[in-house]
Amino acid sequence: MPEEALLKIEKVSKHFGGIYAVNNVSLDIHEGGIWSMVGPNGSGKSTLFNTILGLYKPDEGTISFKGERINNMYPYQIYARGLVNSFQTPRIFHSMTILDNMLVAARGHQGDSMWNSLFMRKKWQKQEEKLIDEALNLLEFVELNRMAFSPAAELSGGQRKLLELAKVLMAKPTLLLLDEPAAGINPVLAKKIFRKLNEISRNGTTFLIIEHRLDLLFEFASWTYVLNKGSIIATGKPKDIVNNPVFYQAYLGEE
Amino acid sequence: MDINWAQILLNSVITGSIYLIGAIGLSVTYRLSNFSNFAHAEFITLGAFIGYWVSSQLGWGLLPAFIIAFLLTGTVSLLCYRGIFQPLAKRGASTIHLMIASIAVGFIIRYSIGAGWGWTPQYFLNTWTTYEVGAIRITGLWLLLILVTLTSALTMHFALMRTKLGKAIRASSSNPELAAASGINVNRVILITWFIGAGLAAIAGIFRGASTQVWPMTGWDIILPIFAVVVLGGIGNYHGAIVAAFIIGLTENIGVVALTNLGLATEYRMALAFLIIIITLIVKPQGLAMFFRRA
Amino acid sequence: MSIIPYLLDFVVFVGIFGIMALSLNLEYGFTGLANFGKVAFFLIGAYTYAILSQTGAPFYLCLIASALTSAIGGLLISLPALRLREDYLAIVTLTTGEILRLIVKSEDWIGGGIWGITVSPAIKMTGASPTSKILVNIGLVFICMAICFIIIQLLTHSPYGRVIRAIREDEVAAEALGKNRSKYKAQIFMLGSAMAGIAGGLFAQYLRFIDPYMFLPIVTFTVWIMVLLGGPANNWGALLGAALVQLFDRGTNLIKDYFTLPIDPTNLQYILFGVLIILVLLYRPQGLLKESEIKTEALRSARARGSTAKNREG
Ligand SMILES: Nc1ncnc2c1ncn2[C@@H]1O[C@H](COP(=O)(O)OP(=O)(O)OP(=O)(O)O)[C@@H](O)[C@H]1O
Ligand SMILES: [Mg+2]
Repeated sequence: MPEEALLKIEKVSKHFGGIYAVNNVSLDIHEGGIWSMVGPNGSGKSTLFNTILGLYKPDEGTISFKGERINNMYPYQIYARGLVNSFQTPRIFHSMTILDNMLVAARGHQGDSMWNSLFMRKKWQKQEEKLIDEALNLLEFVELNRMAFSPAAELSGGQRKLLELAKVLMAKPTLLLLDEPAAGINPVLAKKIFRKLNEISRNGTTFLIIEHRLDLLFEFASWTYVLNKGSIIATGKPKDIVNNPVFYQAYLGEE
Repeated sequence: MDINWAQILLNSVITGSIYLIGAIGLSVTYRLSNFSNFAHAEFITLGAFIGYWVSSQLGWGLLPAFIIAFLLTGTVSLLCYRGIFQPLAKRGASTIHLMIASIAVGFIIRYSIGAGWGWTPQYFLNTWTTYEVGAIRITGLWLLLILVTLTSALTMHFALMRTKLGKAIRASSSNPELAAASGINVNRVILITWFIGAGLAAIAGIFRGASTQVWPMTGWDIILPIFAVVVLGGIGNYHGAIVAAFIIGLTENIGVVALTNLGLATEYRMALAFLIIIITLIVKPQGLAMFFRRA
Repeated sequence: MSIIPYLLDFVVFVGIFGIMALSLNLEYGFTGLANFGKVAFFLIGAYTYAILSQTGAPFYLCLIASALTSAIGGLLISLPALRLREDYLAIVTLTTGEILRLIVKSEDWIGGGIWGITVSPAIKMTGASPTSKILVNIGLVFICMAICFIIIQLLTHSPYGRVIRAIREDEVAAEALGKNRSKYKAQIFMLGSAMAGIAGGLFAQYLRFIDPYMFLPIVTFTVWIMVLLGGPANNWGALLGAALVQLFDRGTNLIKDYFTLPIDPTNLQYILFGVLIILVLLYRPQGLLKESEIKTEALRSARARGSTAKNREG
């Protein structure tokens, strides 16, 4: 393992009014593989993700990515550094086509700048062609390619989830945070997706995934953090964690 | 220069009073219906015209003028809400679409008034005695205004705090879903606030009309200071609005003195209220509401 | 009154308001920025043009200056306001417009205060007939409109256009996908204001006289009607809306000349305006023309490939 953690979270807290959604959490994610996070509903997993991404400002603590402090940055700056997330509730652009949703997410599209889009149209047209190919491949993988040119508003709930996932893969991030990517997806496709993520993780993208489905974690995740009431209560290999009594107590409530 | 501070203070109270009665309805409906109703300006104008018509054209006196203006304007407001804003909201219109629709409704009312009464300014026929108490001068109209403002402010305060309807209004404005879930008929609450709010706007219109002139722009002339009261007080916050109204009143009246001394046009006193809107929205959009529990 | 100058006058106004509608469409239709102070930038452009024309500057310099001052005004106003909720932005921009009008009204040294300011002929047309003067104006207005149209068309059918539409739909999601939403909004606000400034300059150049009463909030509202009627996020829609609203305006004015009505036609005109916009919002909230999809060459060829692939399968 490399010495320095890819993502380092130190003593991070985030509260809403009186509720400590995230309470003094510290954790390290190192480069490579699939990392996971589990915990009962409302334990603060999504809040932690949104705090890492800069959508919420942490009340306390520091977050660093590749050794650089990111907890005072805007989300777009964090994205530019290769740290990207997918939302638990998909946030897609309804009136745009599915393909356009994918293309918005691409990182470093030269046509994103006003000057280029007006005066350097040749420059990004080539890039756009390549990006469209990539996007269509990803869409084919999540079985949405036939709808590529339809408005995203026409998608079903599960399909929106799939688009949310496919779209962040367009960014080719260094670290990708996925918030329950398999929720609402049929089990066969969910498994296929995890296999694909596993394959991608071998090509330089590290994953941190929130997932309630333990069978998928057993098979694919190398490490897991258990969050309960905003704090990390256990950590280890998924197989070992499930044998930890603390884990059951968290899910079943106080006995 | 000799500055008559007592008079300035009194004038501020008077200006603030009109703004306050004009602002309450706008503030509460903004909060409950989620858009700022620009046609509120025309509720003020309509009130002024109905008041003028009843008291000066029909010669029935002021009290009937107040009552009829309140009821008729309230009814027009209800019709606008039921006939236009609610159907739009049901069809999923955005806040911006609702705001544009309210400007359109304002046009319809304003120019209908223009068609009915014409655009030449009209004046109330009442004459008011002027009283001099020490250094300050006050007319009967102002005394009446202060009386009406005090009564309605106190009535509203106790109604909001003590009555079932008041509690329902407060609950609906702080959390509509929760209010609906706990058995409050939020829709009915909204209808009532549209009615009363516009009725009060009509009263403000009569006072404004009686002290200046009555013409189709009577309401639009003061809608931005009224917006300043709504915004500074915190949208939907009654007690905040009271404080804000007098702050805006003071700013305008002290502003006039300051502007004259600086050699600037007194027209800028309006600009002060406008600046308050801009600064509040940018710096602290919840306005003075941060000092008050939701009311 | 002869019909020809009247028609030509109509065409000039369609052009000037076409530019206004295009620029509001860029701001609101594509980016979701509810600018309720459009008239402020129209005013800045018009006064810049008028003041500069009096120094003897040629029309193109005056127009460029109009665009620049409005753009700077747009930037100054947008910077603090960009992170505001949409309805707050609307109120702030509306108020800004009123402050600006108050300033030009009260400060005689800027543009003559309430007495207004005459615009020197920045295009030398001594001896030309009134009709040919209008024709020159039409030419100028439509060249400017064409340039604005092409710029917006290029911008909205590009990856940039995709980003601003994403910001309109969900600005937080767009930011989480790496888009600096404040930067994009400021750029759009500047560009939109520059175009409104050009429209203002053309307005001053054509009328040869301006005063503060020409820049009431109603101008803003008229432009909004054009965009909402024509169809937000469709540039042809903005032009169609501008033409229709002008037509409506002229139509009701013509009625005034030829018929006697029991109601004053000016009042009737605005009442009908109000009714029209409410009907549009109720029954055709997307406007007459629907939002135009993003078109780039790469997308077009991908779509063509997609359909041939489907045909082969089928
Ligand atoms: N924006 C917010 N405002 C107030 N409270 C919030 C907000 N977001 C989350 N919370 C609260 O913080 C706590 C943690 O929520 P969070 O969404 O992080 O849970 P989670 O672990 O992702 O749950 P789930 O598995 O159901 O997605 C909950 O009690 C929730 O009510
Ligand atoms: Mg969650």
